[in-house]
Amino acid sequence: MNSKKFLFSLAIVLALVLSACAGATPTTQPQAPAQADTQAPAASQGEVTITVWDYYGEATPVKPLVEPFMKEYPNIKIKYEALDWDTTLEKLNVVMTGGTPPDVATVDMTWLPHFAALGAFSDLKPLSGGQLNGVAWQDAYTPGALSAITYNDQIVAALYDFDVYALYYRADLFEQKGLQPPKTWDELVTVAKQVAEGDKYLYEWDPDTFHGSQWIYENGGQLLSPDNTQVVFNSPEAVDAIQFYTDLLLKEKVAINWTTDQGERIQGLKDGRIAMFSDGPYNMGIMKSAAPEMAGQWKVALHPYSKQPGSYLGGTGLVIPSTSQQKEAAWKFIEYAMRMENQVGVFTYAGAAPALTAALESPEVNIEDPYFGGQKAFAVFLETMKTAKPFPYVRSWNDIDEAFTNAMQEVSLGQKSVKDALDEAAATSTDALNK
Amino acid sequence: MTSEQITIGKSGAPPGARPRWLKFIRKYYIAYLFIAVPLLSMIAFLYIPMIISFWWSLNDYSGLQAARFIGLGNYIELLTHDKVFTKSLVNTTLFVLMGMGIGPTLGLLTALLLNQKARFQTLFRTAYFLPVMTSLVVVATIWVMLYNQNGLFNTILVDLGLSRVGWLSDPRYSLFSVVIASVWQGFGFETVVFLAALQSIPKEFYEAAMIDGAGAMQRFWYITLPSLRPVIVFVYIIGIIGSYQVFDQVYVMTSGGPVYSTSTIVYYLFTKFRDLRLGYASAIAYILFAILVIFSYLQMRLSRER
Amino acid sequence: MRAVSKRPRHNLRRSLIYLVLAVTSILMLVPFYWSVVTSFKLEQFVFTNPPQWWPNPLTLHNYLSVLTNIPFPRYFANSVFVALATTLGHVFFDTLAAYAFAKLTFPGRDRIFFIMLLALMVPFQVNLIPLYRIMAILHWTDSYAALIVPNLTSIFGIFLMRQFLLSIPNEMLDAARIDGCGEFGVFSRVVLPLALPGVATLVIFTFMNTWNDFLWPRIVLNSETLFTLPVGLAQLQMKNTSNQAQIMAGTVLTALPMILVFLFMQRQFIEGMTAGAVKE
Repeated sequence: MNSKKFLFSLAIVLALVLSACAGATPTTQPQAPAQADTQAPAASQGEVTITVWDYYGEATPVKPLVEPFMKEYPNIKIKYEALDWDTTLEKLNVVMTGGTPPDVATVDMTWLPHFAALGAFSDLKPLSGGQLNGVAWQDAYTPGALSAITYNDQIVAALYDFDVYALYYRADLFEQKGLQPPKTWDELVTVAKQVAEGDKYLYEWDPDTFHGSQWIYENGGQLLSPDNTQVVFNSPEAVDAIQFYTDLLLKEKVAINWTTDQGERIQGLKDGRIAMFSDGPYNMGIMKSAAPEMAGQWKVALHPYSKQPGSYLGGTGLVIPSTSQQKEAAWKFIEYAMRMENQVGVFTYAGAAPALTAALESPEVNIEDPYFGGQKAFAVFLETMKTAKPFPYVRSWNDIDEAFTNAMQEVSLGQKSVKDALDEAAATSTDALNK
Repeated sequence: MTSEQITIGKSGAPPGARPRWLKFIRKYYIAYLFIAVPLLSMIAFLYIPMIISFWWSLNDYSGLQAARFIGLGNYIELLTHDKVFTKSLVNTTLFVLMGMGIGPTLGLLTALLLNQKARFQTLFRTAYFLPVMTSLVVVATIWVMLYNQNGLFNTILVDLGLSRVGWLSDPRYSLFSVVIASVWQGFGFETVVFLAALQSIPKEFYEAAMIDGAGAMQRFWYITLPSLRPVIVFVYIIGIIGSYQVFDQVYVMTSGGPVYSTSTIVYYLFTKFRDLRLGYASAIAYILFAILVIFSYLQMRLSRER
Repeated sequence: MRAVSKRPRHNLRRSLIYLVLAVTSILMLVPFYWSVVTSFKLEQFVFTNPPQWWPNPLTLHNYLSVLTNIPFPRYFANSVFVALATTLGHVFFDTLAAYAFAKLTFPGRDRIFFIMLLALMVPFQVNLIPLYRIMAILHWTDSYAALIVPNLTSIFGIFLMRQFLLSIPNEMLDAARIDGCGEFGVFSRVVLPLALPGVATLVIFTFMNTWNDFLWPRIVLNSETLFTLPVGLAQLQMKNTSNQAQIMAGTVLTALPMILVFLFMQRQFIEGMTAGAVKE
């Protein structure tokens, strides 16, 4: 009996000790959002190796940078690892909390809210000396882009490619019917009615925050208050916006609810179910490679709005986890990737939109795109970027996003009125925000 | 006194001279040796992580910042305030009821059929077992294609003059669609286990019974079923424990939606981990753990009545 | 043999069984048939109405694409190695432990068994991060050891074998003991041969679970040279989300080795031992 008690208490002690070791983080990690990161100069004389994680996949603009970079910086070796989008997020979660994080990683800007709020990424300002390849940060990016990568006055990521939503439309059908791309919401309804034929040639409807937010912004609404303390996506302007959006689907019947069981969007474009949709520049590359036969049928335009143009702002950022041991070297790689000529590679390799303003306006990127009927498509996206907003950087962003998405789904299924759905989602989000 | 004389190993010392613990070891060391490796392995790779994550469940912990002890805070929140958790709990229970109601029954039926020594045995067995061999991710990928708005099932419906069904996008059907795909994937497991067990039943039992004049139903009831009992217990315990942890199909097919209609306990847990709410997620796991422990304990008690 | 007066009914019953087996098997196989057929289709023919039950045109492009886009032989070899090692470990350790739980008596036997069963009731997600940290401490991240060592034995396997072993008559074991076999001898000479259907089942399941394991390898491995097949193929899928046909090709290639193992194991053990059991 004594031995039982002894073993039991031993187990308790062991458990406490182990969990204390595991509960406290094993490597040096910040307790609060990182202060200005001063890194002891890495062994800059000897060779350093940095690990780079790249989630772009086959058409990656990052991989082609590896060899030339190592040539230019002979004492920095790169261990390059290609992952996919899902794996990158999961692995980052695991290794940043208890292993060796990569030194450079591509991250989706929608992951930034909770990571930035937890101090996961290093401040690039001190590492860069306030300049990006000789240009001040605020001159290298548009104000929208800059706000997307700034958190608590720190620059937590270098925006590498950006994502904003514009209207893609079947220019050939429009021409046939003598229609112009719609500029206002009402025009959108008129045009959609004339283009639609039964359940073909519809406007794509998406129950998610990316699209919902666009409509809200366009009606003068917001998701959160400017100081991020209050949920306002159930304000009258926002409710009206979502109501209009939902009416397209349920009342006017000019939209198609693009749930996951509709399949891939590219399929919907090809078989004619979709004649208009709102999406980002990355989609241009997808269309060119997966639907080359549709060249000349599509164009892009600013998404129609009621009060002011608006869109979400996202994309890919290059980050340095705050527990990286090779921050200086990692920064060199990021700086290299952000060079004008390499940013152009974002377009030439991945068909995506480089975030550096100079690259966007360069002739290699700002081409008259034959696929889009000779249109300078990037100009449209650049225009959109001027009024695009990133999602709010709050710790509980994922909960808010989920609540909003759920409301959109409920509304699309006719389960609740727009006002009720948004009010409930706002209540849930406020709860999450205040935890 | 007698037990000491029968003790395995050399004796010779007068009874009582050997310390009790030495006798203890002598008598049982083989058994403990046999279970040593699994036990140690599980302690190192399962129990220690479990203890760690249990500790996390008592904290507000993101993995990147220091943990903040909040006692049972996560549990209280989950059980009283979290509507999505409640929905996930309900969904998962429905999933288990449907799956474990249909699955083992199909498994037993097909095993009985296959045990009849029909020709092409291998072919049939492979057909049933093929889905089990494929990973859930692969199965879910195939079924997503089948459940597509323009996929095979809807095409057949349309050709029959009926309207399309939102197998995965209609919250009335989504959970059931996931169940069908899961049962299709899983009942072959029960088939194989039952079949192996059926083939271990000595033929003599049946022959004796037939000589005694027992009919097919009687043979099934008095010989087959009792002989299968240990394996049936196994199938149900493992099946329920496993089904309660359904995740892969939901991840691939529905992401828990629409409107949380297919959100399961482990899927919800996964979303919390993805959001770096390690403490909260761990608490979800331990509530599930508690449910399964109580349940398994009851099952084992019931099956012990032999 | 038996009296043959029941022949007509016997035949009817037989045919009925065949029919049920055939129809249900076909239903079971339809999704597979569909995915195999799709893997030979060109992308634009995947979602057609009427559905294409036979690919037209038939193309090998998807398979070529999969096989050239990734180092398939390497991934395959890794999967084989890890699966074999794990299965061997399971067969040995699990059966041994199962024997102890089923046929030996020792203090705490049932309690220990139940405690081991508890480990099944926690989803792997929960152990993922702590286990990863343990691997980091042992310097096993990104290594075969991380894939094999934690998986050398499992309570699932022990439970399975225990249920099979429970039905071995104790008299046989006692007879062997009286003959002078040590427990290990009893195990290897009497128990193991009798439990072969169970062992075959264990082999199939262990190999299968290890082969298909995706979550853990993907997190713990960094080097492409160590990737197992599901990890490698999943990355391929992510690169080509819009190509259903190619995804199906990857799916078929992943499932194929398992099917072969199953066929092999069936023939070797279950068929063979049925004959043996009858003679018993």
